[in-house]
Amino acid sequence: MRRPLILFLWLATDYALFLAAYAFAYFFRVGWIFSSDLPFHDYMTAVAISGIPWLAFLATTRTFGLTRNQRSPRNAAYIAYASVLGIAFVTLVYFFLFQGIFSRMLVIEAAVLSAVTTWTWHMAMGFIMRAVLISGHPVYPTLIVGVTRETRTLLKHLRERRSVLVPVAILDASGVKEKEIEGVPVKGKLDKLEETLRDFGITHVLQCSDLEQSINLLGACRAHGITYMLLPSVLGIVEQDERVESLEGKAVTVVSPDAGWWSWFFR
Amino acid sequence: MRAFILAGGFATRLWPLTEKRAKPLLPLAGKPIITHLVEKIPDGMPVTVSTNGAFADGFKKWMDGLDRKGMELVVEGTLRDDQKLGALGSIAQWVEAEKIDDDLLILTGDNYLGFSLEKFLKAFHGNPLLAAHDIGDLERAKAFGVVVPGEGVRVKAFEEKPKSPSSTLVSTGCVVFPKSTLSVVKDYAKVKPDNLGGIFEEFLRKNLAVEYFTFTEPWMDIGSFHSYLDAHRELIGERALIDPTATVKETECRGSVTIGKNCSIEGSELTDCMIFDNVTIRNCTLKNCVIDDGCVLEGIDLQKQMLRTGTKLIVR
Repeated sequence: MRRPLILFLWLATDYALFLAAYAFAYFFRVGWIFSSDLPFHDYMTAVAISGIPWLAFLATTRTFGLTRNQRSPRNAAYIAYASVLGIAFVTLVYFFLFQGIFSRMLVIEAAVLSAVTTWTWHMAMGFIMRAVLISGHPVYPTLIVGVTRETRTLLKHLRERRSVLVPVAILDASGVKEKEIEGVPVKGKLDKLEETLRDFGITHVLQCSDLEQSINLLGACRAHGITYMLLPSVLGIVEQDERVESLEGKAVTVVSPDAGWWSWFFR
Repeated sequence: MRAFILAGGFATRLWPLTEKRAKPLLPLAGKPIITHLVEKIPDGMPVTVSTNGAFADGFKKWMDGLDRKGMELVVEGTLRDDQKLGALGSIAQWVEAEKIDDDLLILTGDNYLGFSLEKFLKAFHGNPLLAAHDIGDLERAKAFGVVVPGEGVRVKAFEEKPKSPSSTLVSTGCVVFPKSTLSVVKDYAKVKPDNLGGIFEEFLRKNLAVEYFTFTEPWMDIGSFHSYLDAHRELIGERALIDPTATVKETECRGSVTIGKNCSIEGSELTDCMIFDNVTIRNCTLKNCVIDDGCVLEGIDLQKQMLRTGTKLIVR
Protein backbone atom coordinates (compact mmCIF):
# COMPACT_ATOMS: atom_id res chain seq x y z
CA MET A 1 0.00 0.00 0.00
CA ARG A 2 2.97 2.31 0.65
CA ARG A 3 4.05 2.43 -3.00
CA PRO A 4 0.62 3.29 -4.56
CA LEU A 5 0.12 5.98 -1.92
CA ILE A 6 3.52 7.53 -2.60
CA LEU A 7 2.89 7.33 -6.35
CA PHE A 8 -0.47 9.08 -5.99
CA LEU A 9 1.08 11.82 -3.84
CA TRP A 10 3.96 12.17 -6.29
CA LEU A 11 1.66 12.61 -9.30
CA ALA A 12 -0.56 15.03 -7.39
CA THR A 13 2.35 17.13 -6.17
CA ASP A 14 3.95 17.14 -9.64
CA TYR A 15 0.71 18.46 -11.07
CA ALA A 16 0.46 21.09 -8.33
CA LEU A 17 4.07 22.06 -8.93
CA PHE A 18 3.41 22.42 -12.66
CA LEU A 19 0.55 24.84 -11.90
CA ALA A 20 2.66 26.71 -9.34
CA ALA A 21 5.64 27.06 -11.72
CA TYR A 22 3.42 28.53 -14.44
CA ALA A 23 1.64 30.81 -11.95
CA PHE A 24 4.98 32.05 -10.65
CA ALA A 25 6.27 32.59 -14.22
CA TYR A 26 3.11 34.61 -14.96
CA PHE A 27 3.62 36.97 -12.03
CA PHE A 28 7.36 37.10 -12.63
CA ARG A 29 6.76 38.27 -16.20
CA VAL A 30 3.70 40.55 -15.87
CA GLY A 31 4.45 41.81 -12.36
CA TRP A 32 2.56 41.00 -9.17
CA ILE A 33 -0.79 42.01 -10.73
CA PHE A 34 -3.50 40.32 -12.78
CA SER A 35 -2.95 41.44 -16.38
CA SER A 36 -5.96 42.29 -18.55
CA ASP A 37 -3.97 41.47 -21.74
CA LEU A 38 -3.32 37.96 -20.47
CA PRO A 39 -6.16 37.11 -18.06
CA PHE A 40 -4.82 34.95 -15.22
CA HIS A 41 -7.95 32.79 -15.18
CA ASP A 42 -7.68 31.96 -18.90
CA TYR A 43 -3.96 31.36 -18.64
CA MET A 44 -4.29 29.01 -15.67
CA THR A 45 -7.18 27.17 -17.35
CA ALA A 46 -4.84 26.38 -20.25
CA VAL A 47 -2.10 25.38 -17.78
CA ALA A 48 -4.48 23.14 -15.80
CA ILE A 49 -5.63 21.33 -18.95
CA SER A 50 -2.06 20.98 -20.26
CA GLY A 51 -0.83 19.62 -16.95
CA ILE A 52 -2.60 16.32 -17.60
CA PRO A 53 -0.90 15.39 -20.91
CA TRP A 54 2.36 16.77 -19.48
CA LEU A 55 2.08 14.36 -16.55
CA ALA A 56 1.24 11.52 -18.92
CA PHE A 57 4.29 12.29 -21.03
CA LEU A 58 6.44 12.47 -17.91
CA ALA A 59 5.21 9.00 -16.93
CA THR A 60 6.24 7.60 -20.34
CA THR A 61 9.84 8.62 -19.55
CA ARG A 62 9.60 6.22 -16.55
CA THR A 63 10.77 8.93 -14.18
CA PHE A 64 8.37 7.54 -11.57
CA GLY A 65 9.98 4.11 -11.93
CA LEU A 66 10.84 2.25 -8.76
CA THR A 67 14.54 1.97 -9.51
CA ARG A 68 15.04 5.25 -11.40
CA ASN A 69 17.94 7.33 -10.13
CA GLN A 70 16.38 10.79 -9.94
CA ARG A 71 19.77 12.51 -9.82
CA SER A 72 21.01 11.05 -13.09
CA PRO A 73 21.63 13.35 -16.10
CA ARG A 74 19.36 11.09 -18.15
CA ASN A 75 16.47 11.68 -15.77
CA ALA A 76 17.14 15.42 -15.81
CA ALA A 77 17.10 15.34 -19.62
CA TYR A 78 13.74 13.53 -19.67
CA ILE A 79 12.25 16.08 -17.29
CA ALA A 80 13.61 18.90 -19.50
CA TYR A 81 12.00 17.29 -22.60
CA ALA A 82 8.72 17.02 -20.70
CA SER A 83 8.92 20.70 -19.72
CA VAL A 84 9.46 21.76 -23.33
CA LEU A 85 6.50 19.65 -24.33
CA GLY A 86 4.54 21.13 -21.40
CA ILE A 87 4.99 24.68 -22.66
CA ALA A 88 3.99 23.57 -26.15
CA PHE A 89 0.79 22.06 -24.71
CA VAL A 90 0.01 25.27 -22.77
CA THR A 91 0.59 27.51 -25.80
CA LEU A 92 -1.52 25.33 -28.08
CA VAL A 93 -4.35 24.89 -25.58
CA TYR A 94 -4.40 28.65 -24.89
CA PHE A 95 -4.49 29.37 -28.62
CA PHE A 96 -7.30 26.88 -29.26
CA LEU A 97 -9.40 28.05 -26.28
CA PHE A 98 -8.83 31.80 -26.37
CA GLN A 99 -7.37 32.43 -29.86
CA GLY A 100 -4.45 34.26 -28.33
CA ILE A 101 -0.72 33.96 -27.86
CA PHE A 102 1.44 35.31 -25.08
CA SER A 103 4.92 36.58 -24.25
CA ARG A 104 7.87 34.60 -25.62
CA MET A 105 9.82 35.28 -22.40
CA LEU A 106 6.95 33.85 -20.39
CA VAL A 107 7.23 30.68 -22.48
CA ILE A 108 10.94 30.37 -21.75
CA GLU A 109 10.67 31.26 -18.07
CA ALA A 110 7.77 28.86 -17.46
CA ALA A 111 9.61 26.00 -19.21
CA VAL A 112 12.83 26.59 -17.23
CA LEU A 113 10.98 27.02 -13.95
CA SER A 114 8.88 23.95 -14.55
CA ALA A 115 11.95 21.85 -15.41
CA VAL A 116 14.02 23.02 -12.43
CA THR A 117 11.23 22.66 -9.86
CA THR A 118 10.15 19.26 -11.19
CA TRP A 119 13.70 17.86 -11.14
CA THR A 120 14.37 19.25 -7.64
CA TRP A 121 11.08 17.83 -6.39
CA HIS A 122 11.77 14.47 -8.01
CA MET A 123 15.10 14.21 -6.21
CA ALA A 124 13.34 14.99 -2.94
CA MET A 125 10.57 12.49 -3.69
CA GLY A 126 13.16 9.87 -4.62
CA PHE A 127 14.69 10.34 -1.19
CA ILE A 128 11.31 10.28 0.58
CA MET A 129 10.21 7.20 -1.36
CA ARG A 130 13.34 5.26 -0.38
CA ALA A 131 12.91 6.22 3.28
CA VAL A 132 9.25 5.17 3.31
CA LEU A 133 9.67 1.95 1.33
CA ILE A 134 12.63 0.58 3.25
CA SER A 135 11.55 1.57 6.77
CA GLY A 136 10.28 -1.29 8.93
CA HIS A 137 9.42 -4.31 6.85
CA PRO A 138 10.78 -3.54 3.35
CA VAL A 139 8.14 -3.28 0.63
CA TYR A 140 10.38 -4.95 -1.95
CA PRO A 141 12.30 -7.84 -0.34
CA THR A 142 14.82 -9.01 -2.91
CA LEU A 143 16.47 -12.40 -3.32
CA ILE A 144 20.04 -12.46 -4.59
CA VAL A 145 21.02 -15.59 -6.53
CA GLY A 146 24.70 -16.39 -6.91
CA VAL A 147 27.66 -15.21 -4.88
CA THR A 148 30.44 -13.55 -6.87
CA ARG A 149 32.72 -10.57 -6.47
CA GLU A 150 30.09 -8.61 -8.36
CA THR A 151 27.43 -9.72 -5.86
CA ARG A 152 29.41 -8.36 -2.94
CA THR A 153 29.98 -5.03 -4.70
CA LEU A 154 26.30 -4.83 -5.59
CA LEU A 155 25.11 -5.59 -2.06
CA LYS A 156 27.36 -2.87 -0.67
CA HIS A 157 26.17 -0.44 -3.33
CA LEU A 158 22.48 -1.16 -2.68
CA ARG A 159 22.98 -0.64 1.04
CA GLU A 160 24.93 2.60 0.62
CA ARG A 161 22.38 3.97 -1.85
CA ARG A 162 19.48 2.89 0.37
CA SER A 163 17.89 1.12 -2.56
CA VAL A 164 14.17 0.42 -2.46
CA LEU A 165 15.00 -3.15 -3.41
CA VAL A 166 16.23 -4.54 -0.11
CA PRO A 167 18.27 -7.76 -0.34
CA VAL A 168 16.90 -10.07 2.36
CA ALA A 169 18.35 -13.44 1.37
CA ILE A 170 21.05 -15.01 -0.78
CA LEU A 171 21.07 -18.39 -2.52
CA ASP A 172 23.95 -19.91 -4.45
CA ALA A 173 23.80 -22.96 -6.72
CA SER A 174 27.08 -24.37 -5.39
CA GLY A 175 26.73 -23.17 -1.83
CA VAL A 176 29.07 -20.83 0.05
CA LYS A 177 30.70 -21.06 3.44
CA GLU A 178 29.68 -17.61 4.67
CA LYS A 179 26.54 -17.33 6.76
CA GLU A 180 25.96 -13.77 5.59
CA ILE A 181 27.37 -11.31 3.09
CA GLU A 182 27.18 -7.56 3.74
CA GLY A 183 24.63 -8.33 6.46
CA VAL A 184 22.38 -10.38 4.15
CA PRO A 185 21.85 -14.01 5.25
CA VAL A 186 22.96 -16.84 2.96
CA LYS A 187 20.07 -19.31 3.07
CA GLY A 188 21.72 -22.14 1.14
CA LYS A 189 21.55 -23.63 -2.32
CA LEU A 190 18.86 -23.39 -4.96
CA ASP A 191 16.88 -26.27 -3.43
CA LYS A 192 15.75 -23.62 -0.91
CA LEU A 193 14.29 -21.42 -3.65
CA GLU A 194 10.59 -22.10 -3.07
CA GLU A 195 10.98 -21.92 0.70
CA THR A 196 12.89 -18.62 0.49
CA LEU A 197 10.44 -17.04 -1.95
CA ARG A 198 7.59 -17.96 0.36
CA ASP A 199 9.17 -17.19 3.75
CA PHE A 200 10.53 -13.77 2.80
CA GLY A 201 7.64 -12.71 0.57
CA ILE A 202 10.15 -12.00 -2.19
CA THR A 203 9.04 -9.45 -4.81
CA HIS A 204 12.27 -9.28 -6.87
CA VAL A 205 14.92 -11.85 -7.80
CA LEU A 206 18.31 -10.56 -8.87
CA GLN A 207 20.47 -13.19 -10.58
CA CYS A 208 24.18 -12.53 -10.19
CA SER A 209 25.62 -15.86 -11.43
CA ASP A 210 24.63 -19.49 -12.23
CA LEU A 211 23.58 -18.63 -15.78
CA GLU A 212 22.59 -22.25 -16.47
CA GLN A 213 19.70 -21.82 -14.04
CA SER A 214 18.21 -18.69 -15.69
CA ILE A 215 15.30 -20.54 -17.27
CA ASN A 216 14.39 -22.21 -14.00
CA LEU A 217 14.67 -18.98 -12.00
CA LEU A 218 12.57 -17.17 -14.59
CA GLY A 219 10.02 -19.98 -14.43
CA ALA A 220 9.79 -19.65 -10.65
CA CYS A 221 9.44 -15.86 -10.93
CA ARG A 222 6.65 -16.20 -13.51
CA ALA A 223 4.84 -18.72 -11.34
CA HIS A 224 4.97 -16.43 -8.27
CA GLY A 225 4.47 -13.07 -10.03
CA ILE A 226 7.97 -11.95 -9.05
CA THR A 227 10.12 -9.48 -10.99
CA TYR A 228 13.28 -11.11 -12.38
CA MET A 229 16.49 -9.16 -12.94
CA LEU A 230 19.83 -10.26 -14.35
CA LEU A 231 23.20 -8.69 -13.70
CA PRO A 232 24.90 -8.12 -17.09
CA SER A 233 28.17 -9.58 -15.77
CA VAL A 234 26.46 -13.01 -15.72
CA LEU A 235 26.54 -12.79 -19.52
CA GLY A 236 30.09 -11.46 -19.49
CA ILE A 237 28.97 -7.89 -20.11
CA VAL A 238 31.15 -5.61 -18.03
CA GLU A 239 31.11 -2.39 -20.10
CA GLN A 240 28.30 -0.82 -18.00
CA ASP A 241 26.98 0.36 -21.35
CA GLU A 242 24.55 -2.40 -22.30
CA ARG A 243 21.07 -1.51 -23.47
CA VAL A 244 18.04 -3.34 -24.70
CA GLU A 245 17.15 -2.13 -28.17
CA SER A 246 14.99 -3.20 -31.02
CA LEU A 247 16.32 -5.14 -33.99
CA GLU A 248 13.57 -5.17 -36.61
CA GLY A 249 11.03 -5.21 -33.82
CA LYS A 250 12.78 -7.89 -31.76
CA ALA A 251 14.36 -6.95 -28.45
CA VAL A 252 18.13 -7.45 -28.30
CA THR A 253 20.74 -6.59 -25.69
CA VAL A 254 23.39 -4.39 -27.28
CA VAL A 255 26.98 -3.75 -26.25
CA SER A 256 28.80 -1.40 -28.62
CA PRO A 257 32.54 -0.96 -29.06
CA ASP A 258 34.18 2.08 -27.51
CA ALA A 259 33.86 5.19 -29.66
CA GLY A 260 33.63 8.96 -29.26
CA TRP A 261 30.93 10.38 -26.99
CA TRP A 262 29.04 11.69 -30.01
CA SER A 263 28.53 8.12 -31.28
CA TRP A 264 26.03 7.58 -28.43
CA PHE A 265 23.46 9.55 -30.45
CA PHE A 266 23.82 7.53 -33.65
CA ARG A 267 24.66 3.93 -32.78
CA MET B 1 23.13 -60.65 5.34
CA ARG B 2 20.99 -57.52 5.00
CA ALA B 3 21.18 -54.78 2.41
CA PHE B 4 21.08 -51.13 3.40
CA ILE B 5 20.66 -48.47 0.73
CA LEU B 6 21.73 -44.93 1.52
CA ALA B 7 19.26 -42.49 0.02
CA GLY B 8 19.25 -39.65 2.54
CA GLY B 9 20.91 -36.96 0.45
CA PHE B 10 19.27 -33.80 -0.83
CA ALA B 11 21.09 -33.77 -4.19
CA THR B 12 21.38 -30.01 -4.41
CA ARG B 13 23.68 -30.24 -7.46
CA LEU B 14 20.86 -31.77 -9.47
CA TRP B 15 18.42 -28.99 -8.66
CA PRO B 16 15.77 -28.49 -10.03
CA LEU B 17 15.27 -32.18 -10.92
CA THR B 18 15.62 -33.08 -7.26
CA GLU B 19 13.36 -30.32 -6.01
CA LYS B 20 10.48 -32.70 -5.38
CA ARG B 21 12.12 -36.10 -5.67
CA ALA B 22 15.23 -37.75 -4.30
CA LYS B 23 18.14 -38.43 -6.64
CA PRO B 24 17.78 -42.23 -6.44
CA LEU B 25 14.22 -41.80 -7.71
CA LEU B 26 15.29 -39.96 -10.85
CA PRO B 27 14.47 -42.00 -13.93
CA LEU B 28 17.30 -43.70 -15.76
CA ALA B 29 16.55 -45.78 -18.84
CA GLY B 30 12.88 -46.07 -18.00
CA LYS B 31 13.04 -46.73 -14.26
CA PRO B 32 14.34 -45.04 -11.12
CA ILE B 33 18.09 -45.27 -10.48
CA ILE B 34 17.46 -47.13 -7.21
CA THR B 35 15.33 -49.76 -8.98
CA HIS B 36 18.36 -50.76 -11.08
CA LEU B 37 20.19 -51.27 -7.79
CA VAL B 38 17.44 -53.21 -5.99
CA GLU B 39 17.03 -55.55 -8.97
CA LYS B 40 20.66 -56.61 -8.53
CA ILE B 41 20.30 -57.52 -4.85
CA PRO B 42 19.89 -61.30 -4.49
CA ASP B 43 16.30 -62.43 -3.94
CA GLY B 44 15.39 -63.07 -0.34
CA MET B 45 17.87 -60.60 1.12
CA PRO B 46 16.05 -58.02 3.32
CA VAL B 47 16.52 -54.50 1.97
CA THR B 48 16.33 -51.32 4.02
CA VAL B 49 16.26 -47.95 2.30
CA SER B 50 17.26 -44.97 4.42
CA THR B 51 16.00 -41.56 3.38
CA ASN B 52 15.28 -38.13 4.80
CA GLY B 53 11.96 -36.68 5.92
CA ALA B 54 11.64 -34.48 2.83
CA PHE B 55 11.63 -37.34 0.31
CA ALA B 56 10.01 -40.09 2.39
CA ASP B 57 6.65 -39.98 0.56
CA GLY B 58 8.34 -40.48 -2.81
CA PHE B 59 10.13 -43.57 -1.54
CA LYS B 60 6.94 -44.98 0.01
CA LYS B 61 5.18 -44.62 -3.33
CA TRP B 62 8.13 -46.18 -5.16
CA MET B 63 8.26 -49.09 -2.71
CA ASP B 64 4.51 -49.71 -3.09
CA GLY B 65 4.97 -50.14 -6.82
CA LEU B 66 7.89 -52.51 -6.45
CA ASP B 67 7.42 -56.23 -6.90
CA ARG B 68 9.78 -57.36 -4.15
CA LYS B 69 9.24 -58.64 -0.64
CA GLY B 70 11.30 -57.76 2.42
CA MET B 71 11.62 -54.04 1.65
CA GLU B 72 11.70 -51.57 4.52
CA LEU B 73 11.95 -47.78 4.64
CA VAL B 74 13.78 -45.94 7.39
CA VAL B 75 13.05 -42.25 7.57
CA GLU B 76 15.59 -39.95 9.19
CA GLY B 77 14.05 -36.97 10.91
CA THR B 78 15.98 -34.58 8.68
CA LEU B 79 14.24 -32.09 6.43
CA ARG B 80 17.16 -29.98 5.28
CA ASP B 81 20.62 -30.47 3.79
CA ASP B 82 22.35 -29.00 6.86
CA GLN B 83 20.57 -31.44 9.19
CA LYS B 84 21.46 -34.70 7.43
CA LEU B 85 22.97 -37.48 9.47
CA GLY B 86 25.65 -38.45 6.99
CA ALA B 87 26.13 -41.87 5.41
CA LEU B 88 27.80 -43.53 8.38
CA GLY B 89 25.52 -41.69 10.78
CA SER B 90 22.48 -43.20 9.06
CA ILE B 91 23.94 -46.70 9.16
CA ALA B 92 24.95 -46.36 12.81
CA GLN B 93 21.55 -44.98 13.84
CA TRP B 94 19.73 -47.85 12.11
CA VAL B 95 22.08 -50.51 13.51
CA GLU B 96 21.62 -49.07 16.97
CA ALA B 97 17.85 -48.61 16.76
CA GLU B 98 17.10 -51.99 15.19
CA LYS B 99 19.81 -53.82 17.16
CA ILE B 100 21.20 -55.21 13.91
CA ASP B 101 23.62 -58.07 14.35
CA ASP B 102 24.19 -59.23 10.82
CA ASP B 103 26.58 -58.73 7.93
CA LEU B 104 25.63 -55.61 5.99
CA LEU B 105 25.69 -54.93 2.28
CA ILE B 106 25.82 -51.14 1.99
CA LEU B 107 24.85 -49.49 -1.29
CA THR B 108 24.62 -45.83 -2.20
CA GLY B 109 21.30 -45.12 -3.85
CA ASP B 110 22.61 -42.81 -6.55
CA ASN B 111 25.10 -45.29 -8.03
CA TYR B 112 24.53 -47.48 -11.04
CA LEU B 113 26.36 -50.80 -10.76
CA GLY B 114 26.88 -52.79 -13.92
CA PHE B 115 28.36 -55.84 -12.18
CA SER B 116 26.56 -58.72 -10.52
CA LEU B 117 26.09 -58.30 -6.78
CA GLU B 118 25.98 -62.08 -6.39
CA LYS B 119 29.47 -62.23 -7.83
CA PHE B 120 30.54 -59.43 -5.48
CA LEU B 121 29.10 -61.20 -2.46
CA LYS B 122 30.94 -64.39 -3.36
CA ALA B 123 34.13 -62.41 -2.83
CA PHE B 124 33.13 -61.73 0.79
CA HIS B 125 35.17 -63.86 3.17
CA GLY B 126 34.36 -62.29 6.53
CA ASN B 127 36.53 -59.18 6.12
CA PRO B 128 35.25 -55.72 5.19
CA LEU B 129 34.91 -55.72 1.42
CA LEU B 130 34.57 -52.89 -1.06
CA ALA B 131 33.91 -52.84 -4.78
CA ALA B 132 36.66 -50.89 -6.53
CA HIS B 133 36.70 -49.63 -10.07
CA ASP B 134 39.75 -48.66 -12.10
CA ILE B 135 38.91 -45.30 -13.61
CA GLY B 136 42.32 -45.15 -15.29
CA ASP B 137 42.97 -41.49 -14.57
CA LEU B 138 44.84 -40.16 -11.54
CA GLU B 139 43.31 -36.72 -11.99
CA ARG B 140 39.77 -38.06 -11.85
CA ALA B 141 40.69 -40.30 -8.91
CA LYS B 142 41.20 -37.19 -6.75
CA ALA B 143 37.43 -36.88 -6.40
CA PHE B 144 36.96 -40.37 -4.93
CA GLY B 145 38.13 -42.66 -2.18
CA VAL B 146 41.25 -44.29 -3.60
CA VAL B 147 42.15 -47.92 -2.89
CA VAL B 148 45.84 -48.72 -2.69
CA PRO B 149 46.10 -52.46 -3.46
CA GLY B 150 48.17 -54.74 -1.27
CA GLU B 151 48.84 -58.44 -1.60
CA GLY B 152 46.15 -60.42 -3.41
CA VAL B 153 42.78 -58.83 -2.73
CA ARG B 154 43.96 -57.01 0.39
CA VAL B 155 43.73 -53.24 0.64
CA LYS B 156 47.06 -51.76 1.69
CA ALA B 157 45.81 -48.23 2.25
CA PHE B 158 42.77 -46.13 1.65
CA GLU B 159 42.98 -42.47 0.64
CA GLU B 160 39.83 -40.34 0.88
CA LYS B 161 39.79 -37.73 -1.92
CA PRO B 162 43.61 -37.45 -1.99
CA LYS B 163 45.52 -34.56 -3.59
CA SER B 164 48.02 -37.05 -5.06
CA PRO B 165 46.29 -40.40 -5.54
CA SER B 166 48.48 -43.50 -5.28
CA SER B 167 46.32 -45.50 -7.67
CA THR B 168 43.44 -45.19 -10.10
CA LEU B 169 41.38 -47.80 -8.26
CA VAL B 170 38.46 -46.00 -6.64
CA SER B 171 35.88 -47.12 -4.14
CA THR B 172 32.32 -47.34 -5.42
CA GLY B 173 29.19 -47.09 -3.34
CA CYS B 174 29.13 -50.82 -2.68
CA VAL B 175 30.65 -52.29 0.47
CA VAL B 176 30.15 -55.11 2.95
CA PHE B 177 30.59 -54.61 6.70
CA PRO B 178 30.86 -57.91 8.56
CA LYS B 179 28.82 -57.94 11.74
CA SER B 180 32.05 -58.14 13.76
CA THR B 181 32.95 -54.61 12.59
CA LEU B 182 29.63 -52.90 13.39
CA SER B 183 30.89 -51.64 16.76
CA VAL B 184 33.82 -49.94 14.98
CA VAL B 185 31.35 -48.42 12.48
CA LYS B 186 29.16 -47.10 15.29
CA ASP B 187 32.10 -45.59 17.17
CA TYR B 188 33.59 -44.00 14.07
CA ALA B 189 30.19 -42.61 13.03
CA LYS B 190 30.10 -40.63 16.27
CA VAL B 191 33.25 -38.78 15.17
CA LYS B 192 32.92 -38.68 11.36
CA PRO B 193 29.27 -39.40 10.49
CA ASP B 194 29.62 -38.29 6.87
CA ASN B 195 32.85 -40.10 6.00
CA LEU B 196 31.94 -43.48 4.53
CA GLY B 197 35.40 -43.85 2.97
CA GLY B 198 37.08 -42.95 6.24
CA ILE B 199 35.80 -46.10 7.91
CA PHE B 200 38.20 -48.15 5.77
CA GLU B 201 41.11 -46.04 7.01
CA GLU B 202 39.78 -46.69 10.51
CA PHE B 203 39.61 -50.47 9.88
CA LEU B 204 43.21 -50.42 8.63
CA ARG B 205 44.30 -48.30 11.62
CA LYS B 206 42.79 -50.99 13.84
CA ASN B 207 44.71 -53.67 11.89
CA LEU B 208 41.55 -55.18 10.47
CA ALA B 209 42.00 -56.76 7.06
CA VAL B 210 40.10 -54.97 4.29
CA GLU B 211 39.56 -56.60 0.90
CA TYR B 212 38.52 -55.28 -2.47
CA PHE B 213 36.67 -56.62 -5.47
CA THR B 214 37.33 -55.26 -8.94
CA PHE B 215 35.10 -55.30 -11.96
CA THR B 216 35.16 -54.15 -15.55
CA GLU B 217 31.44 -53.59 -16.03
CA PRO B 218 30.11 -50.01 -16.03
CA TRP B 219 29.78 -48.11 -12.78
CA MET B 220 28.28 -44.66 -12.58
CA ASP B 221 28.20 -42.28 -9.67
CA ILE B 222 25.34 -39.95 -10.56
CA GLY B 223 26.17 -36.74 -8.79
CA SER B 224 25.79 -34.01 -11.35
CA PHE B 225 23.91 -33.06 -14.49
CA HIS B 226 26.77 -34.26 -16.70
CA SER B 227 27.20 -37.58 -14.91
CA TYR B 228 23.43 -38.11 -15.10
CA LEU B 229 23.48 -37.56 -18.85
CA ASP B 230 26.59 -39.76 -19.18
CA ALA B 231 24.85 -42.57 -17.29
CA HIS B 232 21.83 -42.18 -19.55
CA ARG B 233 24.02 -42.40 -22.67
CA GLU B 234 25.85 -45.44 -21.29
CA LEU B 235 22.66 -47.35 -20.57
CA ILE B 236 20.54 -46.34 -23.54
CA GLY B 237 23.18 -46.29 -26.24
CA GLU B 238 22.30 -44.89 -29.66
CA ARG B 239 18.55 -45.32 -29.53
CA ALA B 240 15.31 -43.74 -28.45
CA LEU B 241 13.39 -45.28 -25.57
CA ILE B 242 9.82 -44.07 -25.98
CA ASP B 243 7.06 -44.90 -23.52
CA PRO B 244 4.07 -46.51 -25.29
CA THR B 245 1.75 -43.81 -23.94
CA ALA B 246 3.78 -41.03 -25.58
CA THR B 247 2.91 -39.51 -28.96
CA VAL B 248 5.87 -38.66 -31.16
CA LYS B 249 5.26 -37.14 -34.61
CA GLU B 250 7.67 -35.81 -37.24
CA THR B 251 10.46 -35.81 -34.68
CA GLU B 252 14.07 -36.82 -35.16
CA CYS B 253 15.79 -38.47 -32.21
CA ARG B 254 19.59 -38.66 -32.24
CA GLY B 255 21.95 -40.27 -29.74
CA SER B 256 20.34 -41.42 -26.51
CA VAL B 257 16.78 -40.23 -26.03
CA THR B 258 14.20 -41.23 -23.42
CA ILE B 259 10.61 -40.03 -23.67
CA GLY B 260 8.35 -40.61 -20.67
CA LYS B 261 4.66 -41.26 -20.14
CA ASN B 262 1.95 -39.22 -21.86
CA CYS B 263 4.42 -36.94 -23.63
CA SER B 264 3.49 -35.24 -26.88
CA ILE B 265 6.43 -34.42 -29.14
CA GLU B 266 5.95 -32.92 -32.58
CA GLY B 267 8.15 -31.43 -35.29
CA SER B 268 11.27 -31.43 -33.11
CA GLU B 269 14.87 -32.60 -33.01
CA LEU B 270 16.07 -34.29 -29.84
CA THR B 271 19.71 -35.18 -29.27
CA ASP B 272 20.81 -36.93 -26.07
CA CYS B 273 17.77 -35.87 -24.09
CA MET B 274 15.74 -37.19 -21.22
CA ILE B 275 12.12 -36.15 -21.38
CA PHE B 276 10.19 -37.02 -18.23
CA ASP B 277 6.39 -37.50 -18.05
CA ASN B 278 3.53 -35.35 -19.39
CA VAL B 279 5.78 -33.07 -21.42
CA THR B 280 4.65 -31.24 -24.56
CA ILE B 281 7.30 -30.23 -27.08
CA ARG B 282 6.50 -28.65 -30.44
CA ASN B 283 8.89 -27.32 -33.03
CA CYS B 284 11.96 -27.37 -30.78
CA THR B 285 15.60 -28.40 -31.07
CA LEU B 286 16.92 -29.82 -27.81
CA LYS B 287 20.45 -31.08 -27.19
CA ASN B 288 21.72 -32.58 -23.94
CA CYS B 289 18.65 -31.55 -22.00
CA VAL B 290 16.67 -33.07 -19.16
CA ILE B 291 13.07 -31.89 -19.21
CA ASP B 292 11.11 -32.51 -16.03
CA ASP B 293 7.43 -33.42 -15.71
CA GLY B 294 4.72 -31.23 -17.19
CA CYS B 295 6.92 -28.84 -19.17
CA VAL B 296 5.54 -27.17 -22.29
CA LEU B 297 8.09 -26.04 -24.89
CA GLU B 298 7.23 -24.50 -28.22
CA GLY B 299 9.44 -22.91 -30.87
CA ILE B 300 12.64 -22.85 -28.82
CA ASP B 301 16.16 -24.30 -29.09
CA LEU B 302 17.90 -25.36 -25.90
CA GLN B 303 21.23 -26.94 -25.03
CA LYS B 304 22.57 -28.35 -21.76
CA GLN B 305 19.54 -27.45 -19.69
CA MET B 306 17.70 -29.08 -16.83
CA LEU B 307 14.20 -27.67 -16.82
CA ARG B 308 12.10 -27.43 -13.69
CA THR B 309 8.73 -29.16 -13.37
CA GLY B 310 6.00 -27.25 -15.18
CA THR B 311 8.26 -24.85 -17.07
CA LYS B 312 6.42 -23.17 -19.94
CA LEU B 313 8.50 -21.68 -22.75
CA ILE B 314 6.37 -20.79 -25.71
CA VAL B 315 7.89 -18.63 -28.44
CA ARG B 316 5.31 -17.61 -31.00
